[in-house]
Amino acid sequence: MKLELKNISKNFHGVKALQNVDFQLQENSIHALLGENGAGKSTLVKILCGVYQPDSGIINLNNKQQSIPDPSASLSLGISAIHQESVMFDELSVTENVFIGNHITKSNGLVDWGLMQDKTNQLLKDLEANIEPNEKIKDLSIAQRHIVQISRSLIHDADIVIMDEPTASLSQKEINELYTIIRNLKKQNKSIIFISHKLDEVIEVCDEFTVLRDGELIKSDSIQNTNKDQLITYMAGREVNQIFPKNNVTIENEIFEVRNLFKKTQFKDINFNLRKKEILGFYGLVGSGRTEIMKSIFGITKLDEGEILFKDQKILIRKPSDAIDQGIVYLSEERQQLGMTGLMSVKDNINMAVMDRNSNFYVMNTLKEIKNSAAMQEKLNIKVSYWSQLTQSLSGGNQQKTVIAKWLSTKPEVLILDEPTKGIDVRSKSAVHEFMGELVEEGMSIMMISSELPEILGMCDRVVVMYKGLIKDILNVKEASSEQIVKLASGES
Amino acid sequence: MSIIPDKPPFKLLDILYKKEFILFVVLVSILIINSNISPYFLDLYNLIDSTFLFSEKAIIALTMTFVIIARQIDLSVASIIAVSSVVLGYTTSLGYDTWLVLLLTLLSGALCGAFNGAIITKFAIPSIIVTIGTMSLFRGLAYSFLEDSYYNKFPKLVGKLGGGYLYGYIPYAFLTFILLAFVFAFILHKTSVGKKIYSIGNNPDAAQYTGIAVDKYTFVLFTLNGLFSAIAAIFLSGRLSSVRPNIAFGWELEIITMVVLGGVYIYGGSGSILGVVISIFILGMLSFGLGLLNVPGVGIIIFTGLLLILSIGFPSFVRTLRRKNE
Amino acid sequence: MKKILLNRDFILFSIILIILIAVGFANPLFVTPKSISDVLTDTSILIILALSQMIVILIRAIDLSVASNLALSGMLISLLSTVHPELPVYYFIALSCVIGTILGVLNGISIAILKVPFIVTTLGTLSIYRGLIYFVSDGKQVYSNEFSEDFLALIHVKFLSLSFLFWLAVLVFIVIYILLNHTRFGRNLYSLGGNPDAAKYIGINENKYIIMAYSLSGFFAGLCGYLWVARYSVASTQIAIGFELTVISACVVGGISVMGGVGTVLGCVLGALLIGLIRNALPAVDISQFWQLAISGAIILLAIIINTKTEQRKEKTIMVEN
Repeated sequence: MKLELKNISKNFHGVKALQNVDFQLQENSIHALLGENGAGKSTLVKILCGVYQPDSGIINLNNKQQSIPDPSASLSLGISAIHQESVMFDELSVTENVFIGNHITKSNGLVDWGLMQDKTNQLLKDLEANIEPNEKIKDLSIAQRHIVQISRSLIHDADIVIMDEPTASLSQKEINELYTIIRNLKKQNKSIIFISHKLDEVIEVCDEFTVLRDGELIKSDSIQNTNKDQLITYMAGREVNQIFPKNNVTIENEIFEVRNLFKKTQFKDINFNLRKKEILGFYGLVGSGRTEIMKSIFGITKLDEGEILFKDQKILIRKPSDAIDQGIVYLSEERQQLGMTGLMSVKDNINMAVMDRNSNFYVMNTLKEIKNSAAMQEKLNIKVSYWSQLTQSLSGGNQQKTVIAKWLSTKPEVLILDEPTKGIDVRSKSAVHEFMGELVEEGMSIMMISSELPEILGMCDRVVVMYKGLIKDILNVKEASSEQIVKLASGES
Repeated sequence: MSIIPDKPPFKLLDILYKKEFILFVVLVSILIINSNISPYFLDLYNLIDSTFLFSEKAIIALTMTFVIIARQIDLSVASIIAVSSVVLGYTTSLGYDTWLVLLLTLLSGALCGAFNGAIITKFAIPSIIVTIGTMSLFRGLAYSFLEDSYYNKFPKLVGKLGGGYLYGYIPYAFLTFILLAFVFAFILHKTSVGKKIYSIGNNPDAAQYTGIAVDKYTFVLFTLNGLFSAIAAIFLSGRLSSVRPNIAFGWELEIITMVVLGGVYIYGGSGSILGVVISIFILGMLSFGLGLLNVPGVGIIIFTGLLLILSIGFPSFVRTLRRKNE
Repeated sequence: MKKILLNRDFILFSIILIILIAVGFANPLFVTPKSISDVLTDTSILIILALSQMIVILIRAIDLSVASNLALSGMLISLLSTVHPELPVYYFIALSCVIGTILGVLNGISIAILKVPFIVTTLGTLSIYRGLIYFVSDGKQVYSNEFSEDFLALIHVKFLSLSFLFWLAVLVFIVIYILLNHTRFGRNLYSLGGNPDAAKYIGINENKYIIMAYSLSGFFAGLCGYLWVARYSVASTQIAIGFELTVISACVVGGISVMGGVGTVLGCVLGALLIGLIRNALPAVDISQFWQLAISGAIILLAIIINTKTEQRKEKTIMVEN
């Protein structure tokens, strides 16, 4: 046994992130750590990296009990993590990123650049990667950055490598190259913890799996003894076909259309339309231009060319308030950074987009604000004790509801949702889906960016598939297969 | 379904934790100590005249409060005073009509502020760096125009505003500050404009995504800060009755101290006008009291600096200690 | 080749050359070896302070208290020298550095331990340190005739007809170049400034580095305290007032990003040289000294705008070939 976690528990302000979780990692094996967002995977990883301390439980490494008080202890125990949000230094060179925090020094105490350069070169050659050691990280592609991170763990002589969704934003070709590297690592006697949402890839690459749900251990077994459907059931806690509420609405006439949208270096030839009561999905790799298009439609960034039609009228959107006035709103993927203002009250957040409506010649009318908050609360069931409570004190799901409430207050007709269920627990997730169904029934039209194919297939009527800033195709979801969509999104057909 | 109240039930104890309350206690203690130490302190005429020491700075502190709450900072205010004072002196020397002189003075301040705002928003450069640059630029313009000469002729009205009293008791500068303080408190705490400034300061990106015109607000706030510097310049020139290019040197730091000591978070998003007003009085009464005791101005400078660091450092230190004990 | 031409430091160097040539045409006296060596001497203190300020700016902070620190350290050793003129000059230099370091550590403690934001801390100590000068000196000046000969002599030592100050600046340049590029400490400063969150993962203790950076800034401020007093043979409450802004300007012009983690030691020195050159060149081309401040202000603004523009252009990722 390489690594064994016993009875690990961790609480955050009363929220149980992990409850008595056991986890076993065999020597030279690739172990999938699975679970929905918020299931406790990242907490577990952060405990292994020394970022968090468990409230209780034991960590055995090579059959010896260990504590991991800080990140450097984790590294010296031979645990190295390749993070999803890259823990990299954009302005520094590849060599330096590989050796970061662990520069080789000469006997006189000075950094030995020559030796580090040579070692990096050798490593990159071994990994068959075409990267210059002198290049700055900011000039590399996402796949190349992963390889630099892998080199970093090899330099540290880590024998446990944690990979957090390493393939999330890679093309198929890059993914295959990464698989080769991972299998090579295994041959070199490394143990790998592999976190991924792509179950097909888990079954292809991994030897064992562990599923967490709501902070509890659900199942741990060999991959051979399971299949994709079973894994989904473990993760979601119910049958697959129950996840997404079917919305049986009659789709009406076209309400929104874009023609030939073009933004230099970001996207071009973007044409699609949206019909009333429709949910239109946007699928593609991270960085395929989906968010960039929505930002331009919403007026955050400027379009270079193209026109936007709303109810058959050409409209001009120069800034977000133009879009909001028209009834088009955009919920960003980055809820914390772009959606809400954590240090202001729930009431302020709910009313933030309708301040002018809630004031008489600029003077705020608190009664109107409370009325609107209460109306939204009734609709969304936000769990809040006082309206003046700070938004950051709410749970993730309730924060998301607050953001949605902010936008529903503007009475929009077109709702743009960017990864609306990223990072929230299963129950809140299905609540969001159900709610989307209700909104559509009430007459709203939705555009939804999602990287989760099941969500796209379950919720949408049509899906726009994007690759490198171009629309590859617009498919009717009922007639499309998931294989077809994935292929289009990785630019293969 | 139960009705959700706006605020938790009122507890007297909560007031004790408010920054404004702590500041108020400090102010009262200073008043008590001062009046015990010096018999001249509580003299009404002395107290009234002591307001001349801080009213001009206090006027700028009001707009500076807005600027800092909106997560910006303006180090160029004292230099704008120099520019506006020079414009005041120059236009007077040209023999312009008083109202035209005042208008051009105010315009010069607003233009300087607008210049700051335009560079900050247009090029997305942090305001601390931009205003370090314009601080030299504006002051330098005043120097290059005036060189080593000075102005000492201003319209009668300006002299009256700077050194005069309403009904013989209330200095015009102080009166202006108090009236503006009410206006600004109202705008900040009761209007949608104020709420938008708070949301910009708390999370500028989220504010932009919510349709708030962040750049427009930033631009207007800097312009306003310039305008108010010009107002202060009018009072100051009138009081000193002589303008040299080094006028109001170092004031930017004193003004920022007034604001930060008043509980406005230096990285934006929180603070109140009441806190700033109390802190202005604390600093004013402190320097007045120390002056009566013949403590030189530097004693006040040191004390102000210590107060500034400790007022932020002490609470956060206690917080860290408490967190460690948990 | 194209890379070299677009290199910031190269551009800065070219600008310095162009100014030098242009001023040389207008006033040939300005480009004599004597005059250039004067400019270098005159800029040396700025170079040293800009280099130490760079260390602080690299970790996304600023030290506004350097000029006050310099003046206080300078005053303290000056007062001591009036009482004990017999002490060797090295003693005063070391003492000045120690005082400066202590003042720097106090900044660091306030920022790292008391968690007072760096602007507030150094704005506060800017006043406090300046105010303390009045206290220790009773507001009096120490004039040139009150210093011992030994105290003032060192500064006038020349080597290869270049001044002591210049060679000291060269030494500091080399030391800081090695420190920032060839030691773990220096590289970790870059990492910390470039990505503070990630730096935690690789076990960099942020507080330790903040305190270290400010102590270094304080150390060099202290060193310059001696240099300033000795060069101008006067210690007063007013020396170097507002000089912190010139120092920060030199860094900004030199391409040290106030967003942290970016900037070269050479660029920093070139930034300081450019500012020093302009200050000295203005009188040579008959521009009144009163224009100096306005022109340096304009240059700072221009430099930041150009910096930001080029940085923003680089950041745009290319997805579609148009």
